[in-house]
Amino acid sequence: MDRRPLLSRAPRGFSVLGLVLFVAAIAALAVFPSFVKKPYVLHMGVVLFLAVIQGQAWNVVGGYAGQYSVGHAAFFGIGAYVTMMLLEVNKIAPWVGIWAAIAAAVLVSLVIGSITFRLRGPYFVLASISVAEIIRLATLHFKEFTRGAEGFLVSEIPTLKIGATEIEFFTKRPFYFAALGLAVLTIIANWIVQHSKLGYYFQAIREDQDAAHSLGINPAFYKNVALAISAAFTAAAGGFYAMFVKFIDPNTVFGLDISVQFVLICIIGGIGTILGPVIGAMVLVPLSEILRNPKGLVQLGIVSSDSGFVRFVEANLSNAHMLVYGILVVVVILFAPEGVLGVIRRLASRVRRRASSRGRTEPAATA
Amino acid sequence: MAILDIKHVSKFFGGLAANSDVSFSMEQGMIMGLIGPNGAGKTTLFNCITGYYPPSKGEVTFKGTRLNGLQPDQVCRLGMVRTWQKVRPLAKLSVVDNVMVGALARTSSLKIARELAMEQLKVVRMDHKPDFLAGGLPIGERKKLEVARALATKPELLLLDEVMGGLNPAESEEIIQLILELKKRGLTQMVIEHDMKAIMRISDRIVVLNSGEKLAEGGPREIADNPDVIAAYLGERVE
Ligand SMILES: Nc1ncnc2c1ncn2[C@@H]1O[C@H](COP(=O)(O)OP(=O)(O)OP(=O)(O)O)[C@@H](O)[C@H]1O
Ligand SMILES: [Mg+2]
Repeated sequence: MDRRPLLSRAPRGFSVLGLVLFVAAIAALAVFPSFVKKPYVLHMGVVLFLAVIQGQAWNVVGGYAGQYSVGHAAFFGIGAYVTMMLLEVNKIAPWVGIWAAIAAAVLVSLVIGSITFRLRGPYFVLASISVAEIIRLATLHFKEFTRGAEGFLVSEIPTLKIGATEIEFFTKRPFYFAALGLAVLTIIANWIVQHSKLGYYFQAIREDQDAAHSLGINPAFYKNVALAISAAFTAAAGGFYAMFVKFIDPNTVFGLDISVQFVLICIIGGIGTILGPVIGAMVLVPLSEILRNPKGLVQLGIVSSDSGFVRFVEANLSNAHMLVYGILVVVVILFAPEGVLGVIRRLASRVRRRASSRGRTEPAATA
Repeated sequence: MAILDIKHVSKFFGGLAANSDVSFSMEQGMIMGLIGPNGAGKTTLFNCITGYYPPSKGEVTFKGTRLNGLQPDQVCRLGMVRTWQKVRPLAKLSVVDNVMVGALARTSSLKIARELAMEQLKVVRMDHKPDFLAGGLPIGERKKLEVARALATKPELLLLDEVMGGLNPAESEEIIQLILELKKRGLTQMVIEHDMKAIMRISDRIVVLNSGEKLAEGGPREIADNPDVIAAYLGERVE
């Protein structure tokens, strides 16, 4: 498994340019709804931001700590159910309930982690899948408490009062800003974690657990920390999702395809980087939306309603999105193992190398 | 008081005794050479001492603390660290980040860790390429990176497992100078090495393992003249 690295130099940690682009992107996305008011477009914006949060969350444990969880639906579903049930059963506002949801997911993550992280290799992957399945089946089974397959519908989200301003969650607009804010927060939190001792320890464990262990790192403990952080953001995404789509049932929030989605966003974009999940979400969300609902393109005015493409997708691909995902993963793993971001970086470093070799020779860079 | 005390350590893999009743101790500041033919159990002994495996029998005491049951990370924090015979660079991290991981055992500040790391890179003469990816380094530099990373954990006892293996004579000489330099600074070291000339030069004492057992212990001269040792190396000329 000793693969040659794609780059000879590590990408620099902090750059002013990166910060400027980040702030500019946020500003652009913040003013975007003032110009584009189509609910469908704002809806897709929320879905995209949610995918970014999901990707960032998974990346902590999967990308940085190298522990491939294929069971993040467990935390997502817990986030969704706790937030939803506190609202519907106990009339607790979601911005309060979501903290309980996060706490519940973190607790579950600690239990899962303390059992599975003693083991190595594929055990964690398998355990993560089974835990999500167990929770899904339990949610279906204990009907008195969870309403089983019937699921929950949001009856009404209370008005949020911040000082004198009152925010009502009737339209897509407030969700758009809340999701954007949550995504930005998640990215910043992730950046801070990865540029701290924790981030170094996560990556050391991913790269070589034995080496890490001998350098003073307790792998089981730090993997658990990574999973807990990841579970917290995942639960937040789940709670938000429940309020946004307004309906949840066990199969949608605890389903395996949700778990797979988390992994896909990172694999496609580039694992173990801050930018990767953002790029992954930007690829995966439009793709899955086109497959699921090709009429969306018509709404956007990109294609006409009698377009052959829309008819083809509807007839042949709409029920096969998992198949398309699968093919996509195979293609990415074969041709771009470091994701889209890896391809971009490789191209950039090739350009830079060519530019510098034209100037003065730099023999070490090709070492 | 001995800094390291190994008493009757045995390690069995199924029926195989990779270490069998090995005892010796090390004094502060010394360099102990650990030699023996391939498969003699040298690496296994490192694994037993550092908590990677629990010894099947016997006990290890480091600075007065019994290590039985302690994990490698705890042993490292106590001040004993090893390098790996088959190097284990954190491939996708840069050179300085690799060393920082070691330094973070002693500080939580990345800034201090980076300074510590750069210091150690200077010690092994690799401070000119801190931003290179560890996975892309040639073998000589990977070995030095192992040492720098271990040093960054601020050990009192450094265990080196064949750091000269696979190196050319110039690189080996550089490592020898490094080991002697570290000794001058007061660092206690145990060195596994196949190169007899090198081990004779640097060691204060030498322990010879053969088929898991301690065959001999003594000063370099004594070991070189020991007929059992010469026999164990099957006529390989010692010296
Ligand atoms: N994890 C293990 N499981 C089973 N057998 C092992 C294990 N580790 C080592 N051994 C065996 O124990 C014996 C001693 O191995 P060890 O690696 O300690 O030797 P060594 O002296 O370091 O050899 P070398 O000079 O080749 O590095 C060998 O026969 C080896 O095959
Ligand atoms: Mg060995």
